[in-house]
Amino acid sequence: MYVLKDEHISFILEDIRRNGIESEELQLDLLDHICCVIETEMLPNSNFEEFYRSIIHRFYKHELREIQEETQLLLTFKNYYAMKKVMILSGAFSAFTFIIGSLFKIMHWPGAAVMLLTGIVFFCFLFLPILSILKVKEQKQSKDKLLIGIATIFGIVICLATLFKVMHWPFAHILWTSSLGILFFLFLPIYFFGGIRNPETKTNTIISSILILTAGGLLFTLTNLRSSHAVEEAVFNSDDQLLASYIYLSQQKESDSLSESQMLIRTKANELCLKIENLKVGIIKSISSDGKGITEDKAIRIFGSKFDPVQSYLFSENDQASTELASIKKDLAELQKLVQENTNDKECSLLSTQNIHRSDYKNQTLSWEEFYFKGLPMENVFRNFNQLLVNIRIVEINQ
Amino acid sequence: MYSSELVKGTLKTIILKLLSESDKMYGYEITQKVKDLTGGKIQLTEGALYPTLHAMEAQGILTTDVVNVGNRIRKYYSVTQTGKKVATEKVNEFSDFIDTMIFLLDLKPKMG
Repeated sequence: MYVLKDEHISFILEDIRRNGIESEELQLDLLDHICCVIETEMLPNSNFEEFYRSIIHRFYKHELREIQEETQLLLTFKNYYAMKKVMILSGAFSAFTFIIGSLFKIMHWPGAAVMLLTGIVFFCFLFLPILSILKVKEQKQSKDKLLIGIATIFGIVICLATLFKVMHWPFAHILWTSSLGILFFLFLPIYFFGGIRNPETKTNTIISSILILTAGGLLFTLTNLRSSHAVEEAVFNSDDQLLASYIYLSQQKESDSLSESQMLIRTKANELCLKIENLKVGIIKSISSDGKGITEDKAIRIFGSKFDPVQSYLFSENDQASTELASIKKDLAELQKLVQENTNDKECSLLSTQNIHRSDYKNQTLSWEEFYFKGLPMENVFRNFNQLLVNIRIVEINQ
Repeated sequence: MYSSELVKGTLKTIILKLLSESDKMYGYEITQKVKDLTGGKIQLTEGALYPTLHAMEAQGILTTDVVNVGNRIRKYYSVTQTGKKVATEKVNEFSDFIDTMIFLLDLKPKMG
């Protein structure tokens, strides 16, 4: 048996590395195998290098790196099938739950949120990443790999944005806008300028870019939907009528021959109305940049269904407005008590002292201010304030 | 010597059967054993053997054990518990395949 020296081992190892065997595991396997062949077959007086050259041909048809490539292929092949299976299953699952969830959402049936959530989470964190990995592996150029990566990020962000919007979670708007930003300012330029340079892909690139631009534009149109003009007009009209009633009732007051208690009620009612009107002005000021010379219906016309600013103005802690709202509630209770004690109107009800039960699908029990002002768009908040003003004037006049 | 197409389809079965019958084997040993057992009729090529061994290791059918042999390292392959099941399945499948082929090609089994 021929005994191999250290330098022989290094020579073989160096040679198989140079011939394209990159995997260390495979290097060890082949090194040992070649050594075994040499040890058993080589005659003691033969030249080592010559003998090595003569036997290495057995290991391949054309070149040694075939073994490395074949191994790589078998390894990725196995993962490839498993990944493809998971991808198809997760894709089918998320598509199914998403569509059924949307149907449930439209019909206001219970369980819609859970289905939408699982559908989108599976799609974003299983289907899209696996699809992206498989597609990246297929591509040879790094530019194409980058494009697939960006497209995947866009897909994940826009799906999450939709989920956040549907669930009324915070930051939905930021997610939505950033996903469109990725599409318009990152994906589209790289795709367009990358594809247009190549004569073979030029036409396809232009057509696809236009389609992407249109689809993205349609999504952009949906970014901030407002109510239709007819709905807005209806809101102003009903609000205008309430305000007109309030102004009419305010003018119907007889100043003479009032008793002391009547005077007290009148003063209290005036104070209260002033407080409410000031709070309304405060809301408009908080959402308009200058806050001057603007009427209520104009504010609604300009700002639409402003939701968050109105809510944060009325309900944020350490804010003057929330104190004012609490003070209005206190005054209402006082006025109600005053009327009940001093007039025949024993049933006078300006303020519900007990919690109010909302019999919608959430089945919540809410306090007075939560019921009339919290979680509502601007026009509803104003309407409820105006109704309150009218109620106060009716109670005042009825005495 | 049989053609490489014939051997290719049965390579996994041959390796698994040999490995499940012995404690552990290294690559060269496997090729020699097959050669000896078949009287040189089946000769595994290194280009097919090692990719298959590595793929089966990645699938958890085989495990490896590294031992220092003189001035180099030798990798011993052995069958895992899952591998033993796969080996039985493969052998059964192939035996069934042979029966089908005998029937299909109308071969008379050689007696004795």
